[in-house]
Amino acid sequence: MALPDDKELEAIFGDTIDLTTFKQILEMDEPGDNEFSSSIVFGFFDQAEETFASMDTALDAEDLEKLSELGHFLKGSSATLGLVKVRDGCEKIQRYGKQENLDGSPENDVKVCLEQIKKALTAVKSDYEEVETGLRNFYKDDDEEEGV
Amino acid sequence: MSGTEAANAPGGGNNASEFVRKLFRMLEDPTHQDVARWGKDGDSFVVVEGEKFTRSILPKHFKHSNMSSFIRQLNKYDFHKVKPSADGESASPNGNVLEFKHPYFRVDSKDDLDNIRRKAPATRKPQVAEDFTTSQHVSVVSEQLTATQQQVQQLQELFADISQTNRLLVNEVLTLQKMLNAQKQAQYEMLNFLSPYNHSRNNGMMAHQMSSNGGMSSSDGDENVPELRRARELLSSVAPDTVADRELERLHDIYEAPADSATMVTPVSMPMLHDPMNDISRYPVYPVGQTVGIDPFHSDHINKIPYAIPNENSSGSMDQHQQHQQHTPQPNQMNNAPGASLEKPTSLWGSKKPTVFLVEDDGTCAKIGIKFLKSMGCDVEHAINGVEAYNRINAVGRDHFDMIFMDIIMPRLDGVSATMYIRQHCPATPIIAMTSNIRPDEVNGYFEHGMNGVLAKPFTKEGMLKSVKTHLQHLLKNPPSQSDNGHGSAFMMNVPYLSTPGNPIKFESPTPPAGAGGSNWSSGHMSQNGVDSGFGMMDGSNQYNITQGRNAYSTMDAPSGRLSDHDSPPEKRQRLNNSQRTYA
Repeated sequence: MALPDDKELEAIFGDTIDLTTFKQILEMDEPGDNEFSSSIVFGFFDQAEETFASMDTALDAEDLEKLSELGHFLKGSSATLGLVKVRDGCEKIQRYGKQENLDGSPENDVKVCLEQIKKALTAVKSDYEEVETGLRNFYKDDDEEEGV
Repeated sequence: MSGTEAANAPGGGNNASEFVRKLFRMLEDPTHQDVARWGKDGDSFVVVEGEKFTRSILPKHFKHSNMSSFIRQLNKYDFHKVKPSADGESASPNGNVLEFKHPYFRVDSKDDLDNIRRKAPATRKPQVAEDFTTSQHVSVVSEQLTATQQQVQQLQELFADISQTNRLLVNEVLTLQKMLNAQKQAQYEMLNFLSPYNHSRNNGMMAHQMSSNGGMSSSDGDENVPELRRARELLSSVAPDTVADRELERLHDIYEAPADSATMVTPVSMPMLHDPMNDISRYPVYPVGQTVGIDPFHSDHINKIPYAIPNENSSGSMDQHQQHQQHTPQPNQMNNAPGASLEKPTSLWGSKKPTVFLVEDDGTCAKIGIKFLKSMGCDVEHAINGVEAYNRINAVGRDHFDMIFMDIIMPRLDGVSATMYIRQHCPATPIIAMTSNIRPDEVNGYFEHGMNGVLAKPFTKEGMLKSVKTHLQHLLKNPPSQSDNGHGSAFMMNVPYLSTPGNPIKFESPTPPAGAGGSNWSSGHMSQNGVDSGFGMMDGSNQYNITQGRNAYSTMDAPSGRLSDHDSPPEKRQRLNNSQRTYA
């Protein structure tokens, strides 16, 4: 299969994915086979859902430090895939977990931090679902194309 | 004046002085009222005829005939001479009338005589003198006290100054000592580097580099270049004064961290190879989003650093590594076989494919990183945290990996700490920080802890490739000078290796490899120095690397030392370096 061109990808993902980054992953696929990139992407799905669950737990426990760690963790992998919206949401969680505002200034009110994380987590989950749907369709379409 | 009064006289005014009573009695005496009598108001007495008074009355009442003595007495008792009253009675043609007065000396008040006291003029004078000497004495003493206090204060200030100076000197000496060790180690590194060079030059057989190097590892006897041998002998001939060192270290401890002194002098050699790993949970993970640069001298870091291994010399180190291999668990080996299927038909690499170690806890990043590296034709191994990475490196030896990509924030052992451990065994292996924390202060921290470069996350294949090419130029098929990296590359390749003289000092024992026999001095307290000196070196002699790194980190490449080596082709240099690293 030929690499999908930018327009096609943009149509699928809009601004949820940084195409330059994502295409790099696609380029790693063997011609006619998206095994590698799909394994990464589906691996990321597992990772993300797991992390969101952990974040929910940590949020209930009001464990800011843990939230920051989890935010950092998912930020790394989402960034590697070019999932910019998820990445930005994770960064918010990481920052407020460190009791920082988005500009890096300290936010001493734990309540505010937790509230912001709660908001960011809801947003990032929704962003994630959006990009997940897009990615699943992308790989489904690819499979179909290949099947054809 | 009645006789009764006279009779009472001795009784009344009993306490009065004899002179006053005599005076009173004299005035009561009616026989010589013409000569001496009470004044008109009875509050004074009058001596009318001084001559007669002196001759007849004084001898009778006072047993002497000295008028001036009588007056002196009166003065003593505070009688005052008054001007003769203007009444005619006291007027005398010869004017020889004396009238004396005292507030308590009255004709009608005998009891008041008691109040007439002798003034103390006689005693007052000596008293004044005494006061004078006493006060003088006191002032002298207080002056002395002040002077002494000033002296004490001066001494205290002096002491403080000297303490400060001494502390500075002790620190300075220690720093110099460390630098000296570093220099020494650097010399050895250079000697090691030079020996195969000379050897191969003698052989004139570049192609047989590896085999001839193999022969060289067996002994120093291969150093058939007299200059090198002499240099080694010179280096090992100077042994530090152990006692003085210990004393110095003790002083340093007193000044710096008395509480730590016990641990600082504890010699640890082999145990540390296991302890850090067993107790690894104790070591804090590199804090998430650390906002300040890593202070290498902060006790948190210092204490995290294991003691330097005693010596890594010739066959001994091989044994050690084999030992590790038995003890340490094997980490995940994602791939020991070459990633053949993905290797591009036109390989980047020369005869040897590089083996790259990817230390990354995030599965997604790791998979992609591995994929990228394999696509570049590298063999890749993967560890999911610092502990695993360290164990693996202990197990396989220092030359197994040509390059390490190291995540910073990882569970169990973070990348910076892991690097510090790994540097004990792999002083020269390029270690690239792979992280999204790339603020300048953070990046400086990575360099200061022995890392050679930074690959920003999310990394791109291109960025990774650039980093790999930069740090593994010696393995590239095409000589770097011809590569598309351009002008600077021919120089950049030198950097990681030229900076290695600093790195081995960092975590290796400062013990000279050739002086193994007399090297005991280096274990124990000096090992701590070895650790410290590494930082010193990074801050000092390697400064230009760090500085350049600060400027250049945005390119995510290793700092460029801009030290050129025009004479030898890069490839040759690197091969030589390879052999050097094997036997250093």
